[in-house]
Amino acid sequence: MKKFVVVLVLACLWLVGLTGAQQGEPIRIGAIFDLSGATGDVGTPYAEGVIAYINWVNSQGGINGRPLELLSQDYAYDVATAENLYKQFVSQGALVFMGWGTGDTLALVGKIAEDQVPFISASYSASLNDPQGKAPYNFLIATTYGDQLEILMRHMVAKWEEAGKDVADMRVVVFHNDSPFGTDPLPQGQAYAEAAGIGGFLAIPQPRGATDYNAEIQKADDFGVTHIIVQNVSSPAALLARNVVDYFGSNEEVVFGCLNWCADELFVTRAGAAAEGALGAIPFTPTTVEVEGQEIPREILEAQGRTLEEASLHFTQGWAAVAVMVEAIKRTLDAGLELNGPNIRATLQQMKDFDVGGLMAPVTFTETDHRANRALAIYRVENGVWVQDSEVIDLRALEEESQ
Amino acid sequence: MAVQSGIYHQTYESDMQLRPTTAQRVRLILAIAFVLLLPFVVSQNEVRIVNKVMIAAIGAIGLNILVGYTGQISLGQGAFLGVGAYACGLLMVYFQVPWGLALIAAAFITAFVGALFGLPSLRLKGLYLAVATLAAQQIVEWIIIRWDPIDGTIDGRATDALKIPSAFLFGNTAWRLNDNENAFYYFVFVVLVVVVLGAVNLFRTHYGRAFIAIRDQDIAAEVMGVNLFYYKVLAFAISSFLVGLAGGLTTIHSTAISFERFTIEVSIAYLAMIIVGGLGSISGAIYGAAFIEILPEILRSIGQTLVQNRIVSDQVFVTVLPFVQQGTFGVLIILMLIVEPEGIRKLWSNIKDYFRLWPFSY
Repeated sequence: MKKFVVVLVLACLWLVGLTGAQQGEPIRIGAIFDLSGATGDVGTPYAEGVIAYINWVNSQGGINGRPLELLSQDYAYDVATAENLYKQFVSQGALVFMGWGTGDTLALVGKIAEDQVPFISASYSASLNDPQGKAPYNFLIATTYGDQLEILMRHMVAKWEEAGKDVADMRVVVFHNDSPFGTDPLPQGQAYAEAAGIGGFLAIPQPRGATDYNAEIQKADDFGVTHIIVQNVSSPAALLARNVVDYFGSNEEVVFGCLNWCADELFVTRAGAAAEGALGAIPFTPTTVEVEGQEIPREILEAQGRTLEEASLHFTQGWAAVAVMVEAIKRTLDAGLELNGPNIRATLQQMKDFDVGGLMAPVTFTETDHRANRALAIYRVENGVWVQDSEVIDLRALEEESQ
Repeated sequence: MAVQSGIYHQTYESDMQLRPTTAQRVRLILAIAFVLLLPFVVSQNEVRIVNKVMIAAIGAIGLNILVGYTGQISLGQGAFLGVGAYACGLLMVYFQVPWGLALIAAAFITAFVGALFGLPSLRLKGLYLAVATLAAQQIVEWIIIRWDPIDGTIDGRATDALKIPSAFLFGNTAWRLNDNENAFYYFVFVVLVVVVLGAVNLFRTHYGRAFIAIRDQDIAAEVMGVNLFYYKVLAFAISSFLVGLAGGLTTIHSTAISFERFTIEVSIAYLAMIIVGGLGSISGAIYGAAFIEILPEILRSIGQTLVQNRIVSDQVFVTVLPFVQQGTFGVLIILMLIVEPEGIRKLWSNIKDYFRLWPFSY
């Protein structure tokens, strides 16, 4: 026992010594993570990524000598808990906040605006992009769900035409999570389908807790489906992929595609052979495609005896998301401005083509647009790994071209 | 006091008292003093948790009237909370109804909806009724998710959270109920007191006794002249009234509400509250609400302390701690029920009996 106490005291002294190396007042960052709730499977690596980045910055001496302090908790995907934790962390001095789900982010929007806390969430719902209206402090770090759907459909149309087929024969069915998260991209998809002259566009909700989707696939088949796109999380998407292959007898009959929350390593593991050939609209570079920004995460994980592949792309997603926020804090300090919500927001709004080592498309925010980018590359599952299938498709650039 | 071998009432007035003994009155005064002083000694965050407990207590009392006193199982608690919350919110947002009026209207609307879903209770009993109320849960959840205007829109796009305009107590801008926790605390405490007095007295009237008679033996109750259909639906309405009130209070306490607050998990948490607290007891509902709401917060703050003091690593924080916390929560509920199956209320009365009879407990 005595020995234990001695070790404990020594450990404490060592820690005091470590933090003593950094000068200055800590900069507090609030965060809520889903570690044990409905989205805990992807929430856990995301949280690890955020924590790893903060620790890495601190190990490099902090920002201008000031250490970062992360105030974070598991909120188990519960909106009321999220609200409590947010209020608690802000009252404890959190200057900026890393959120998670669509429901809790939307529930907090009003409070965020009032408290003037720059907020980056893992929800990419376009309704959060309202910089001059209701959501002045919310920033969307990745391509919105609607843009993801449109980009994936553009890619599908291009491939279809390459094969010499008529766009009017295309029948796109979107299987989606039966919630606002799932329905979010549908209006944009519908609009694009009409503009591009796609023969048919149908949305089918995936009932929660279903053990198979044969009835829904039957419905899609009656519609004459040629392309299936999933807006859901990995597990139901993988089940759907297996059901689709069973129903049609092969991977070739319909083109299968996933938006970001199901296009990941977990989907490939769960769907097995059925994942082969599936397309993914992924704003964050998969671990199987090497980019420069993965180097440090790889080193950190290897020091823990783990690999980035195992930690999944959601690790670098969390890493990249908080990196943008920390960059804004750094730039605010460098400009000699007082570190507060409005100044960090202003700095974020001036961010132009900021690249997080290729972990995602460069980030540009403006006063009127809080979407980091409207661009991503399409990936495809080949022999169980995600490989790049297209160049980056940039909707902003396409819009400017057409004007 | 110590030499008396029981409590003897010599007048009808003394017989009707809610707090007949001196010890009870002293405790009541201490409790009132505690309640009044609490916000001055604890942090805003802790006041916020107490506020959640009081809202949950009102909802749990409502559920206990139905389940504990009338014996009708309901799995639709989350839905009825949602009806109350959205009724209150929609009245405030779309019709600019003053929040106090919206709160009361929400309670009445929920009472009506509850009575509607209580109709099958005439033919259905026990688990069959539970499944029927489960339908209420599904239908209400479905409507909240699917019906776009219910959550309002931004730039013509449906959003999934209804923004709630701020409510001010007595029109005083300093007393903003969704921001000033102390203001909300005193307000919801008054509401809770009114609800408790109303509920306790309900079971001293013929309505309440009819409910208990139905719970104990519905056929016997019917033979005695209790109109089963009328009283069952009434129990649903009264219960839902209080649940709707709790829902409305949730709305006023928040800046926005969304469907995730009113799912089946919430229904089950409320059933856990009244079972852990003590079925068929008003004070039990309050103890149960406190237990279920406060325990996870305590576990969470223990976890946070461990992480901040570097006693556990970030790796443990992410991968192990959440499950340890949830597991502990479950184990504590089971332990609680093994120690005293009749709930915290019985545990508390056992403790009181022990000291009252001490040192000669036999």
